[in-house]
Amino acid sequence: MDAYLGIDVGSISTKGVVITKNNHVIAQAYLRTQGKPVQAIKELIKNLQMQTNNTKIIGAGTTGSARRLAGVMIGADVVKNEIIAHALASSYFHPDVKTIIEIGGQDSKIILLRDGIPIDFAMNNVCAAGTGSFLEHQATRLGIPIEQFGNYALQAKTGVTIAGRCTVFAESDMVHKAQLGISTEDIIRGLCDAIVRNYLNTVAKGKNIQPLILFQGGVAANIGVKTAFERALNEQVILPEHFLVMGAIGAAILAQEYVSENKTTKFAGFRTADIKFITKAFECKDCPNSCEVIETFREGQIIDRYGDRCGKWSENT
Amino acid sequence: MKVAFPCFGYETISLKNFVENLGAQVCLPPPLTEKTLSLGTKYSPELICLPFKITLGNLIEGLRAGADTLFMAAGARKCRFGYYHYIQETILRQVGNGHKFYPISQYTPFEFFFRKMPSIFSVSPVRVITATYLLLQHSALIERFRNYIRKARILDFNKSRAQEKHALELLEHAKKLSQIRKTKEAIDKLFDKTKIIPDNTIKIGLVGEIYIMLEPFANHDIEKELGKMGVWVWNQRSLYRHLKHLLHIDHLGIKYKFQASPYLKDSPGGEAINTVGEARSFIKNGADGIIHIYPFTCMPENIAFEALQKMSDDYSVPLLSLSIDEHTSQTGLLTRLEAFVDLLKRRKMITQKPKIQNSKIKT
Repeated sequence: MDAYLGIDVGSISTKGVVITKNNHVIAQAYLRTQGKPVQAIKELIKNLQMQTNNTKIIGAGTTGSARRLAGVMIGADVVKNEIIAHALASSYFHPDVKTIIEIGGQDSKIILLRDGIPIDFAMNNVCAAGTGSFLEHQATRLGIPIEQFGNYALQAKTGVTIAGRCTVFAESDMVHKAQLGISTEDIIRGLCDAIVRNYLNTVAKGKNIQPLILFQGGVAANIGVKTAFERALNEQVILPEHFLVMGAIGAAILAQEYVSENKTTKFAGFRTADIKFITKAFECKDCPNSCEVIETFREGQIIDRYGDRCGKWSENT
Repeated sequence: MKVAFPCFGYETISLKNFVENLGAQVCLPPPLTEKTLSLGTKYSPELICLPFKITLGNLIEGLRAGADTLFMAAGARKCRFGYYHYIQETILRQVGNGHKFYPISQYTPFEFFFRKMPSIFSVSPVRVITATYLLLQHSALIERFRNYIRKARILDFNKSRAQEKHALELLEHAKKLSQIRKTKEAIDKLFDKTKIIPDNTIKIGLVGEIYIMLEPFANHDIEKELGKMGVWVWNQRSLYRHLKHLLHIDHLGIKYKFQASPYLKDSPGGEAINTVGEARSFIKNGADGIIHIYPFTCMPENIAFEALQKMSDDYSVPLLSLSIDEHTSQTGLLTRLEAFVDLLKRRKMITQKPKIQNSKIKT
């Protein structure tokens, strides 16, 4: 069976899917990047290979913040940003989607679509308050598994107001509220509300949010944030079936588009998992710009270079 | 006298030639790098806007390179730029020793031509006026070159790199009027005018704060990156226009003020009114999207942002807003640019289809 591979390497998690021609997900994997994207991508590939025995990958796409590295490693046909990937996947599964709320490990974005076409988007700009890594940090601090975090918010009787503008101040505010004797459940619900408030006031500021609203990305797994969105927007917020791997599905769909046009694939095969990849950085001293050039080696051979302003390194690979 | 002033995009060349025409030696600080920025950040108030940090860092580098006279642009308009020179002068007095500091454009044209410049450079007012005339001519040439290179990048990006290098060398040596004229001809020849930009090229209007817009280091070379993606960048800001504004002969400014009027009646300070006016006129001329780029915590541009959002809704033209500070990462910026361009491309593909169908029905 022919299939397409999509990989989404984010700051916190690495996601991968294998889809059929009809965009049916036949295998998916989700694991922590843990600051080692190369390792994570290899493990992901191994994992997906085990799930799909008799399929042949005829196209591959990557997305996410490490899309370039992932693309070079697996030999991707398409390397695309997360926004287009998310929009494509969502409009396939929910053709009438008009708003996508996506909160990941370190970024949050809003994508507006009309008739299945992305028409506008915004991403958090200067501040990453209220994204997944902050929630995770708070969960660890309170000794609650991150998977349970949302349920705590649902058990709250009333919410308290937590300052959500800045994660550091939010944390001090949470400590302060706890010291007043307020229950953990109420504080967590307050935190979920604060995240939503911050999102709506910064990322989604001035954007026309219309139903159908989809909520995806790692934070969507948190039921507390989902209900907080519903409270704030007064609209139903839908969690797509594959909300964790939507970006990866989008990348696979893009690969499919590419392959149907160009009829060939650059995909290097599942053996990527056993090949040694090294990434090095050096400072070019040829001019005062002193650019930091990043090099990727496959088994000692240079396969990619970038980061230079003049282009003399990146052009010679 | 060794003169230093902060780098300002390609326009640095115009300013350098201006000072040299006044008979002073220019001790140009090194090009802007991360070191400049960290030096500037070290001595700056924490939440001041990015241009302050960059220019301060660059001035300090100038001092270290041996300059004894520093020039800094200064605005008397309603934003923090008007206070730059007071603070920078104080900071520089602590960092350097025995240098002179002149906030240049704060003076009225009369003061500039007849009092300040003649006394600083000990030359006659006539020479100041001649040098300023040449500065205007040279910066007009830079503006011309900018317009050429924007098109050249779409046609052949790799070739445009060589063209850019060559043109900048030519511009460097254009000091006298005759040289400027020759350079103009040479630059006209360098860029092939017969090639036309394809109709389906994505056109993006770039608006925002002038320093961030014109200094490639500050904006992470946004114009080049967009050019690489095949986008035709429209940018109406230049030193030439800014100089004309200072001399009260900037007719474009009046036009943009009029264009901005439905959204912004009066200038809230800085260049906000230009930002809004330019954006509206870009949209009217068929821009596919608007990129608004400004320093984080910039007051006037934040006001302009609100107006731009309303405009983007009214005309349904997408707007990408980028606020830049020293923590802005190149990767993050590129992701946003790439996504924005993709969005415009997909939009264009869809909006163009019905038109073709309609015309078929008519015929």
